[in-house]
Amino acid sequence: MTEWTGELSLSLEDRGGKTVARNVYFQGAFKVMRPIYHDDSGKVCYYLLNPGGGYLDGDRYRMDVTAEPGSRVTLTTQGATKVYKTPKDHAYQETMMTLKSGSYLEYLPDPLIAYKDASYRQKNIVHLEHGATFLYTDILTPGWSPDGGHFAYSSVRLTNEIYLDGEPAVFDNVRLSPSEQQVGGLGFMEGYTHLGSMIAVGEQTTDGLIDDLYELLAETVEAEDVKYGVSRLAVPGFSIRILARSTGKIEKMLNVCHKKVSQEWLGLTPASLRKY
Amino acid sequence: MTDRMLALLQLCDSNLPTGAFSHSFGLETYIQSGAVSDCVSFEEWLSCYVSEQLAYTDGIACRMIYDALEDGEMEAICTVGNQLHVQNLPRETRQGTRMIGEGMLRLFGRLYDFPFLAEYGLLVKEKRTVPHPAVVFAITAHGLGCSRDEAILYHFYATVSGLIQNAVRAIPLGQTAGQLTLNRVRPLLQQTAEKALALPDEDFGLVAPGLELSQMQHERVNVRIFMS
Repeated sequence: MTEWTGELSLSLEDRGGKTVARNVYFQGAFKVMRPIYHDDSGKVCYYLLNPGGGYLDGDRYRMDVTAEPGSRVTLTTQGATKVYKTPKDHAYQETMMTLKSGSYLEYLPDPLIAYKDASYRQKNIVHLEHGATFLYTDILTPGWSPDGGHFAYSSVRLTNEIYLDGEPAVFDNVRLSPSEQQVGGLGFMEGYTHLGSMIAVGEQTTDGLIDDLYELLAETVEAEDVKYGVSRLAVPGFSIRILARSTGKIEKMLNVCHKKVSQEWLGLTPASLRKY
Repeated sequence: MTDRMLALLQLCDSNLPTGAFSHSFGLETYIQSGAVSDCVSFEEWLSCYVSEQLAYTDGIACRMIYDALEDGEMEAICTVGNQLHVQNLPRETRQGTRMIGEGMLRLFGRLYDFPFLAEYGLLVKEKRTVPHPAVVFAITAHGLGCSRDEAILYHFYATVSGLIQNAVRAIPLGQTAGQLTLNRVRPLLQQTAEKALALPDEDFGLVAPGLELSQMQHERVNVRIFMS
């Protein structure tokens, strides 16, 4: 059995229009802060925290979140996920999310920064019941190295498996291995340095929403600075990919889309998740 | 042996009426933006497409289908088909791949009465799995008595010769230039087929971000001669 470096388990339920924790448990180098209500909508926001400040050689993290029927929750991190060099074994994070019918869960972690010679794997496994809504974003940066060079990390792999009523709905497997690939070339990062993604699954998805998102993105940034695409999933929902040259650009673009989706699907304008 | 060779040559013909003719899998986006404009830039795109998309998606899928066929596990074949479908995030490429899979299944089903192919056809009809070219090709190649190495390699060859024909029309390139490209890419097909056989399951569906983005962007490309 895996020895977890940090473990967190959280279940949320709706209590008279307000989402509250039914169960919170964490141990080791993983922590969740007190719940925050940004407005009077009843939607709750939890900040995840890595007290160690970053992931180290061979670290194993596990998170398990359940959203009971009708609950609405934002999960985010308190700062960038940093992965330091992993000379012996890669660092790993596994997140299981279960969304019951009528629940809304958004997982909006800060950017991932992999340091020189770091290897990291992340796996999100999401089970949705019919009528649940899930929204996820991530930002993969070119990492950090002492000489300021890009892509000095060894390998980063981000996997998302999403199931709808037990059936495969989305499978997303991205790996950048600067140690093996020409990551800058055509077909890969194509001269860009940052990769942003959003995946949303919700029955409310329409073609009109996809058009609106395209338009919003076009208004938000200068076309020459970024490359982006939006497309409908095999199930009701959409994915967005963005190639850019800064975290800020991607955050801005993802925020605009998040705001639009939140307004359309929840009737809420999201609060700023400002953290510093 | 000779008859099997002839049968495979037929399946690899880029004129095979499967609908692949209408899909560029994002290449057209690069052509429209000017990033692909001649043989050199096309081969750069093609190399990436082969060593990434074909290796991690079609290649691993072919290997998994062979495993399933040897165990007689039709359920596993359904699972692979459904995973192939949902890992294809760009809508046009997903729908196009499905259409080509359907076209191949219709045609191959008329050409051969292999029991696994018939059974697979039934599962598709019952909507238990989404048809995919790699799956149809692997099942048919298995029926013809091919090894898994051969199945993957021939599937790659069939796909790539079709893509080259599309590039010849769209960029455009000369017919001879297209054939020269096919000649040059052959060693890569061999290498990639070998690589794909050894890749672990966890590498299934790994995407190259740029390729995938170009496939998403194709939805908004103004002048289009391809459906994806």
